[in-house]
Amino acid sequence: MQLILDNLGLFAAGLGWTFRLAVVTLLISTAVAAIIGTLSVTRSRALRVIALVYVEVFRDIPLLVNALFVFFGAPLVGIPLEPFAAATVSFSLWGSANGAEIVRGGFNAVPPHQRESAVALGLRPWQIYCFVLAPQALLPMLPPFAGLFTLLVQATSLASLVGVGEFFRIGQIVIERTTMMSGHSPAFVIYGGLLVTYYLICSVLTAGTRRLERRIARRTERPTSARALVPQESV
Amino acid sequence: MHYDFDLAYIWANTPALLGGLAVTVEVSAISILIAVAIGIVGASVRVLEVPVFSQFVSFYVGFIRNTPLLVQIFFIFFGLPAVGLALPIFTSGVVALAAWGGAYNVENVRGGFLAVPKGLHEAARALGLKPAHYILLVAIPVGLRVAIPSVLNTAVSVLKNSAYLQSIGLAELTFVAMEKVAKEFRTLEMFAAIGVLYLVLVLILSWLVRRLEHVLQRPFRVR
Repeated sequence: MQLILDNLGLFAAGLGWTFRLAVVTLLISTAVAAIIGTLSVTRSRALRVIALVYVEVFRDIPLLVNALFVFFGAPLVGIPLEPFAAATVSFSLWGSANGAEIVRGGFNAVPPHQRESAVALGLRPWQIYCFVLAPQALLPMLPPFAGLFTLLVQATSLASLVGVGEFFRIGQIVIERTTMMSGHSPAFVIYGGLLVTYYLICSVLTAGTRRLERRIARRTERPTSARALVPQESV
Repeated sequence: MHYDFDLAYIWANTPALLGGLAVTVEVSAISILIAVAIGIVGASVRVLEVPVFSQFVSFYVGFIRNTPLLVQIFFIFFGLPAVGLALPIFTSGVVALAAWGGAYNVENVRGGFLAVPKGLHEAARALGLKPAHYILLVAIPVGLRVAIPSVLNTAVSVLKNSAYLQSIGLAELTFVAMEKVAKEFRTLEMFAAIGVLYLVLVLILSWLVRRLEHVLQRPFRVR
């Protein structure tokens, strides 16, 4: 307990980096996911295939392999990345692939007659997307994106492997230092404490996601959550 | 910057990579089996609302799902020895992955059990079946079928997440590749190789899932 209190500043700084990483990644992922997800519901087969390959590659290769690859591979093609930048790029690739599935689920949740009516009214394809489909698809996408944020908070623990001083890395540093100075390892207490902290943060986020889901379901009065359409992903 | 991609290098290291792949498959397969067992037992406890145990399972599921797997692995491998529970690397890996997959499977199987038509439940009650018999004779044959696709999705995730075990030094696929990278610096070749291997493994498994879904639907299809 004393150990945790002594290093409280360090832990707080680590949590700060964890959140910075998660938020930056979420923003980039959302932007990229909007593009890839829209590609996957277009009429063009070629564009759909591109979106499919992107989604499959970044979802099916373990995030850890992805993170190590970006960090160690980038310098070889002439773009050395700082640990934080490498983690951001890697998690954004993964996050946007998962986000793209959410966007696709959102579009698929819009009843087909909406598009048919829009076509019958003579709207152009871009008008159908912007004024008919997108506004209706947006709301059901919110809960899954909140869920994605929770996953990203957990995923940031992987950034420790490429040297970002986020929450988990700080825990490791404290353990190493204490072991060297006092001779016995506080791994049980520190890792236990980290688990409890992650648990508290993520449970709050998960509970928030559930509430959002319920509120949106009430508002729209049809089973709109894109969540059901998105295969679970996990870290 | 110029980088010579050397395909022959991958070819030369195939035996080492296949060795890593074997460990990946082994640790994943054992973990998946245990995770399925945890899922069925946990879901039964939840569905039957066994006091105390049901709350415990519910907490376990929430805890695993709301904490990063990497920290769980470190806790099991580096933290538990402090309380006298020092497990070897492979066992630690299996415990971590099985506990993780099990938590997801509890929810998957529970979903399947809850999809069992109400009439069947009432019929079982009317026939005087004990809860354990209801699970064995009704919920598992009917409900598990519904749950199998999501259980297999979790299995795919367990396979992918076995890569996390490289961080505690289990010589699985990612670890083997990283070790080569550290010695010989053929980073792009090694990552391309393991990337393709993971992709192929996952795609094969996902394809099996889809086939199985198709087969399992057969008794319910209108001819």
